[in-house]
Amino acid sequence: MIEQHGSEREALRTVGAPIRRYGGAARVSGQQDFLADLPFPDAAAVALVTLPVACATVTGIDGKRAMEMPGVIAVVSAADLPQPVPRFGISHQDRPVLADGEVLFHGEPVAAVVAETLDQAEAGAREVEVAFEERPGVYNVDQALATGAPLVRDPSRRPEDDENRDSNVLETALYEWGDTTAAAGEAAVIVENTYTFPMVTHFPIEPGGTVAVPTDAGGLDIYSPVQHPYLLQRTIATVTGLPLSQVRVFAPDPGGGFGGKQTPRLEPLLAFLALQTGRPCRLVLSLEQTFQMMRRAACRVKARTGFADDGALIFHELHCDFLIGAYADVAPRVMTKGSYVGAGPYRIPHARTASRAVMSNTTPSTAFRGFGAPQVAWATESQLDAGARALGLDGLQIRRRNLVNVGEAFFRGPYEATADGHWHEALEKAAELIGWGQPLAPGRGRGIAVAIKPGATSGLSQSLVRFLADGSAIAYAGTSDMGQGARTLWQQILADELGSPLDKIRVVSGDTGVVPFDLQTSASRSTVFMGNAVLEACRDIRKRVLALFAESTGVDEAMLSEAPGVLITPDGELSLLEASRIALGALGGEFVGQGTARMRGRKGHPLGGDAAFYEFNCTAIEVEVDVETGELLLHRHVSVSDVGTELNPIQVTSQDEGASIMGLGHSQMEQLLLDDHGVIRNLGALDYRIPTFKDVPVELITHGIENHDGPGPYGSKGISEGALLCTAGALGSAVSDAIGIPIRDLPLTPERVWTALHPDAADHPGGEEPA
Amino acid sequence: MRYYRPATTAQAVAALASQPHTSRILVGGTDLLVAVRHRSAQPTLVVDIKGVRDLTAPISVDEQGITFGPTATMGDVIAHPTVREWFPALVEAAGLVGSVAIRNRASLIANSANGSPAADTSPPLVSFNASVTITSVSGERTSLLREFFLAPRRTLCEPGEMVTSLRVPRPSPGSSSAFERMTRRRGVDLATCSVGAVVDADGAMTVGLGALGPTTLLGGPVAPIDLTSQEQLERAVDALLAPATPIGDIRAGKAYRTAMARVLARRAVLRAAARRTDPDRLTGRSS
Repeated sequence: MIEQHGSEREALRTVGAPIRRYGGAARVSGQQDFLADLPFPDAAAVALVTLPVACATVTGIDGKRAMEMPGVIAVVSAADLPQPVPRFGISHQDRPVLADGEVLFHGEPVAAVVAETLDQAEAGAREVEVAFEERPGVYNVDQALATGAPLVRDPSRRPEDDENRDSNVLETALYEWGDTTAAAGEAAVIVENTYTFPMVTHFPIEPGGTVAVPTDAGGLDIYSPVQHPYLLQRTIATVTGLPLSQVRVFAPDPGGGFGGKQTPRLEPLLAFLALQTGRPCRLVLSLEQTFQMMRRAACRVKARTGFADDGALIFHELHCDFLIGAYADVAPRVMTKGSYVGAGPYRIPHARTASRAVMSNTTPSTAFRGFGAPQVAWATESQLDAGARALGLDGLQIRRRNLVNVGEAFFRGPYEATADGHWHEALEKAAELIGWGQPLAPGRGRGIAVAIKPGATSGLSQSLVRFLADGSAIAYAGTSDMGQGARTLWQQILADELGSPLDKIRVVSGDTGVVPFDLQTSASRSTVFMGNAVLEACRDIRKRVLALFAESTGVDEAMLSEAPGVLITPDGELSLLEASRIALGALGGEFVGQGTARMRGRKGHPLGGDAAFYEFNCTAIEVEVDVETGELLLHRHVSVSDVGTELNPIQVTSQDEGASIMGLGHSQMEQLLLDDHGVIRNLGALDYRIPTFKDVPVELITHGIENHDGPGPYGSKGISEGALLCTAGALGSAVSDAIGIPIRDLPLTPERVWTALHPDAADHPGGEEPA
Repeated sequence: MRYYRPATTAQAVAALASQPHTSRILVGGTDLLVAVRHRSAQPTLVVDIKGVRDLTAPISVDEQGITFGPTATMGDVIAHPTVREWFPALVEAAGLVGSVAIRNRASLIANSANGSPAADTSPPLVSFNASVTITSVSGERTSLLREFFLAPRRTLCEPGEMVTSLRVPRPSPGSSSAFERMTRRRGVDLATCSVGAVVDADGAMTVGLGALGPTTLLGGPVAPIDLTSQEQLERAVDALLAPATPIGDIRAGKAYRTAMARVLARRAVLRAAARRTDPDRLTGRSS
């Protein structure tokens, strides 16, 4: 990592200022070209053929009638692909390009129809005859783990030495220190409860899609608004056998990603369709299709926690079952990483977290803001409150008692992890902002919760910066800007380090053909990783200006030095632009700088490496409960994060507000509901509810704790996920404070709150009644 | 799909009659365009009646009541001073339909004509004893709105016909009304259930019930009670909700919907009753 000094920070002009978002005006005024807006005059349209059930054996696919429909160019099923049907995936190469003899989740395509127009493709898709036999599937944790449960994956497709091959458990993780069993005797109070977290979907406002264009050279150009263009490039190259140099990925800025646009899903299919038909093939997803393509793993956590009289944690035991879906995607990693911090940012002498990634006949779950942490934090934070209630403490007291100090371990053992920030400051600030301890109006309750999430544990970001003859500059940085404002940060760094005006700086991303490699846009890593690469590229330019200036003018290099925006000569400071003109001389030209941020993993580490930083958040909520209806009114919602340095305060606030509101989604209203056939019953915006602006708390207050102690540029840390990590815990705590009854299942819908208040009204809550 | 923009009511109903089962009327389009996009409606003919010159005016007031035409939007309803004074429950219901953009296009008449049991504005209209006029090539007929609804998405308005006006009689002097709706979130949502209540000067009560049966239902009238008596109020609510047959579905379980119907009925009745005598209130009391 690059060393920085306080004096340099003071010299900054734009870093730390609320600079307006790069491309923001175009984004909010409808000018930005999303994938669906890009013109492909010669493109053929693609429609997918799916089944009305989640789990089935496919016995025959007949596309003859469809082929006779007007405009239909091709009907493609697994039989038309290379055999065996190519499969892909990150850790498990288990996902077929098209369903291969069986459908494992509702919406998994069994065939694709390519036609001249979308209407023709859809009409053709309705004519494809699919013979199938529905099989019993597993749609929740209980079903999947039941003795004799139908297996999502046939054991023959799993390694022989896999001890779980005859079950639906795909992977397990175990983190343990101390001796929880022996420690139970020391506890004054033990609380034991089960918590559930629902399946939720990402709901990006731009559903996305893919256009695959065959090139004259026999390669493919793939257009897809993904977070990881380079992963997509590699996946397409692997499944098609093309060299990387023949696969170029264009990733137009996604309209929201939240982790849902990381891994390839339908792009390999589009690649084959383009290669087979020789035509650009275009598929723009509907919102309903995104529901079937991406979701967060549901989770059931059984927790047992012991406390001393004074509230100190004695032991904490967690059994977490993540319901991951039909294919692995990155869900095993979500399970291991989410469980790693599952015990929370606490000082715990004895801890045991045993987790399983459980397959089911549901949409494969994937990365989603928080990456497994919110599911387990819901349980751990609720347990802290349960302990506090039993001991007569409040939520703030018990967290003060147990929260680790900077440098102190919250994860123990040979790969211990310690607090990389002053997390107590965030706790105290949140308590102050919520008015902790002040009298409450009747019907109201207050709750406070904390959580952490590990940032990236390895990474590689490369950047090129061109400093042009007129002082304008271009940064090539592969981070996908999906709304988080990455381009703005690179612009700010260039402006300060090179002295270029903000409006003369361009950022190029989303094109593997011209932009150097970046591993991925995930885990709130980009500020740290790409930020450091861009910073290094700028400093590389300054060194090159200095060297050429010395050569061109004959001034001894030792007499020169550089600083942000300037070259310092014996005759005084020159702006970098002036210095570069003198250095370049009559021939003109430009300077090109290169920067790389590389973090290697650590062998043996359960996560593959230490986290580059931790996102720590404290959320506190004051809620009013309508006891007649169970409706919640959030009067105040406070989110305080440990941010290192706010490179752009308005963007930090936007991220924290966005994450807070998104956290209220899974805490209050979001859940995917399935019928007995595994079909999503609330497929679409009508009955899958996300918060609107009318659902935002009356007061939403966010705050960043700045100690300039992060590994990113100018002491920054990643910040994009923190504010939703413990939203559920804070809200659950506030609601139970208001009504005197803890609720352990999310979301806290009015109906669920009302049902908790009326335990005698025996009935199934809405959506949970068998169809 | 053919788009047709007739200039007269006669042309409109003739066009509808030519393809009675596959034609659809377009006014605001807030339901139809969504349905077409999701293929839950696949009309061969769309008849856009916004250019019809002899259509009933959006809102016309006379001594005996208000007549609404098909192009009256929720936004028009909310803004109209006489509607605000006479029918506060309708204003409250119209103000909860969709979002601002939806309300600026959505037709009041179409909200009932769609026949959804969860329609927001139907319960207050039923409680106000509204009636509709249905026009076809063979002429006009009028029906009470409460008799207009036959089943979910099925009304007296047959294929080939259209509802051309909605008449709401002026409420009796000294009465008032209120609307209550339960949803899963505060922003844009469909009703889990809803109640529109009218309380007369003498205390007689009537309610319209939304999403509490296969159609919008009328409850009451119930004779005046002592509103300060919890016991009498509960008995009145029992009587008002007697026609309700709540079910469990994706939006709510049966027990919760049943319980919410009581809460909403109680709240709507009390609010309507209080409105009758609130001297500071500028709108919502009939005089």
